[in-house]
Amino acid sequence: MDPLETMPVSRHGRAIRRAMQVGFAALIVFLYLPIVFMIVFSFDEGATPGLPITSFTLHWYEAMLNNRVLLRAVGNSVTVAIIVSILATVIGTMAAFVLVRGRIRFPNATRIAFTLPIMVPGVLIGVSLLIYFARVLDLSLSLATVVAGHLVVTVPFVVLIVASRLQSFDRSLEWAAADLGASPRRAIRHIVLPLIAPAIIAGALISVTLSIDEFVITWFTVGSQPTLPTFIYTRVKFGVTPEVNAVATVMLFVTLGTLGLAAVALSRARRMTGRSRRRRGAG
Amino acid sequence: MTTEIVGGAALAPPTAIGGRRSARLRQLAPFLPAMVIIVGLFVVPLALMFVFSFWSTNENLDVVPVWTLENYQNFFTNPTYVRTLFKTMVIGAGVTVVCLVVAFVVAYFLSRYVSRRWARIALLIIIVPFWTSYLLRVYSWQAILGEHGALNQVLVGLGILREPSLLFVYNDFGTFIVLAYLYIPFAALVLYASLERFDFTQLTAAQDLGAGPVAAFRRVLLPQIRPGLITACIFVFIPILGEFLTPSMVGGAQGLLIANLLANFFKTALIPEGAAVGFLIAAFVTALLIVFRRYLRVQDVVVRG
Repeated sequence: MDPLETMPVSRHGRAIRRAMQVGFAALIVFLYLPIVFMIVFSFDEGATPGLPITSFTLHWYEAMLNNRVLLRAVGNSVTVAIIVSILATVIGTMAAFVLVRGRIRFPNATRIAFTLPIMVPGVLIGVSLLIYFARVLDLSLSLATVVAGHLVVTVPFVVLIVASRLQSFDRSLEWAAADLGASPRRAIRHIVLPLIAPAIIAGALISVTLSIDEFVITWFTVGSQPTLPTFIYTRVKFGVTPEVNAVATVMLFVTLGTLGLAAVALSRARRMTGRSRRRRGAG
Repeated sequence: MTTEIVGGAALAPPTAIGGRRSARLRQLAPFLPAMVIIVGLFVVPLALMFVFSFWSTNENLDVVPVWTLENYQNFFTNPTYVRTLFKTMVIGAGVTVVCLVVAFVVAYFLSRYVSRRWARIALLIIIVPFWTSYLLRVYSWQAILGEHGALNQVLVGLGILREPSLLFVYNDFGTFIVLAYLYIPFAALVLYASLERFDFTQLTAAQDLGAGPVAAFRRVLLPQIRPGLITACIFVFIPILGEFLTPSMVGGAQGLLIANLLANFFKTALIPEGAAVGFLIAAFVTALLIVFRRYLRVQDVVVRG
């Protein structure tokens, strides 16, 4: 930005600006405080997290690796996340194509239908699924019902992400392919899919993180096999153990890693499909 | 809503060109699985919850299709329930105001005084915690606000408190702080998207034309970012109506919100009573979404976040 443009409007502009800088720094501290504490306590020897930190230990990480129940919960979470991610990506991508390119009768209503599951509080989705599975369909709750619950939120995410890329897709590339003799199917396989692949990958990775971290819907749809978040919740309710901090720290870095990959994929998608038509459109 | 799409296709009048109908079905086929999920796992269960809220239970706590308004009557005649509902609205509104003010200051600062490149990086830094586990962040606050938590230790160390207290946790204060913490990044993201589009030279222009800073702010800046402000309000307030984890972790018995009632009803198998609470929340959410539907730019938040 041109420095002249940032000329303070108010006479107190400079003071306001300085105050905002301090406030911004304070906010960052506030936002990262719990995360920093979680990481620090995972290395703290004391069994109840608290200050001052007495001494450094890797004991809780060791305890984590020896806890069979916990490892099984991790296994359940990973299994669910992989299944959810694959299903959501395939289902969501197909739907996005129809949404952007098909002649749907009520495009706006359909769009709203796909944003509602993201907007509606998870607890409502959770309890209504609980009634539905346990009281209406008479299914026993299991990891399969958890997968079903996760699909309700992940599919719309994939649809929105892929649809937004498809919208900014330059269709003349496809017409060029058709001019050169490609069938529509071939044009999609060789031109469209490779170009929107980063968006699809981003959708898949975001589904993984959503599913792995999902607690609210899971809490109501889970059976006797816990996922990692429901395991942690019951554990924390019983009493705090630093072991949980160790798991949390590992999970934090796994999630951040996955999100980092998703971000890289999305920025690649942006570069490949060019700027969207609306200047700000989802940029 | 979505049912109409396929319904519409299936009911399309037969045309002279016999292939058109099947072509249309084929075109919509890839849409079917997603629709099955949205309708079958979202719309239908919510509709059933609505129906159940008007049904009764027998002595075995099985839901029986006997129509009644009792579930709603019980809710509204129980002072604790009504107070919890009211408190949820008040806390929700309070948290929304706090989030909006903080987020506005941050977004204003980033869009006006910071280069676009750095603003984006700063925004990313704000958003990252939002994408890490919600459960774990709430849990960590226990370690900060709790009796043996950092805040107490610091205050005792400074001599402000004589001994560790339960002032900050297992009450409304704990719930309020953690909710604000959870939703500030969200609000900041939405408001930044609005303010980034705003041309700040308009403020200077307004002042050249004789407006004071306050008037320029109120009459030039605010009207232009109103959609963003409303979006941010909704994106903070609606999730709070469904928050049950935060109150159950840091709110204690005193700081419970409406969604905790809902969760407790369901965990104790009082399905119709729970369904009634669920429907009340859903009705409120729906009303907000309908009133402000024009401002809901979910895509902005999802794709940018």
